[in-house]
Amino acid sequence: MNTRLLMVMHVNVAPALNIGAVPYGSRRLAPVSGGTFEGPRLRGTILSGSSADWLLLRSDGVLELDLRCTLRTDDGALILMRSFGLRHGPPEVIAAIGRGETVDPSSYYFRTMPRFETAHPIYSFLNRMIAVASGDRRPEGPIYSIHEVL
Amino acid sequence: MSLPINTRPLMVLRLATSATQEIGSTPQGTLTIFPVVGGSFEGDRLRGKVLAAGGDWVNTRADGTFTLDLRVTLETDDGSLIHMTFSGLRDDANHYFRTVPRFETAAPKYAFLNRLLAVGIGEIRSDGPVHVIEEVL
Repeated sequence: MNTRLLMVMHVNVAPALNIGAVPYGSRRLAPVSGGTFEGPRLRGTILSGSSADWLLLRSDGVLELDLRCTLRTDDGALILMRSFGLRHGPPEVIAAIGRGETVDPSSYYFRTMPRFETAHPIYSFLNRMIAVASGDRRPEGPIYSIHEVL
Repeated sequence: MSLPINTRPLMVLRLATSATQEIGSTPQGTLTIFPVVGGSFEGDRLRGKVLAAGGDWVNTRADGTFTLDLRVTLETDDGSLIHMTFSGLRDDANHYFRTVPRFETAAPKYAFLNRLLAVGIGEIRSDGPVHVIEEVL
């Protein structure tokens, strides 16, 4: 599979809202308080207020991520990004992340599938792209290396 | 500093479809349903057949590209059932046809499928669509 780097995104998250036990698992909502993204073809900031990650801890220990955020490029375009993802790993690694520690991102599985929607002609290539991201959960929020699937 | 993406082959999926059902123009676009009536899948870790009672809901968007929404049931050669879905994007103008499959199974042997993300490269052949699917490592 050939890919190329689209952008690196730093997401800042606010304290999570614990929704609790739902029929599918344990649900938390992580509001996105801001962030930045930068790549060869686009860069800008993540808007708070319309961005959050709906997290679901499944009974098999896998965390499902369902992120929606609004991106604003440095030239003013608005882009909707949605990504579904999975995060899991050895219990001690996941526990360390839970304690807010920085761990080696290669020690656990954290991958997402971003999709984009925009009306802006310069960025319409995003509408026609499948992407894959590697995540690195830091105390202040995840860092995603987002790659275009060529 | 960015993290890399690596993949490895998971399976080649061949789908047999019957006559399309043209739903037509809807508020979301132009919807065409491709019923899946069979097929096969084969990889190092799993192989078997595609059961009937599945389909791909293909929407033609205003920009001329197609979005896919497939759900099928796979039956492995050792009798396990796997529910597979994918969403995807087909852009014929740019020869781009990619999907993002997901799997659900209760079979312990195939539980690894519940925990992975995958990417497929699609191709329309004379005998039906073929998807080369790789696991995202």
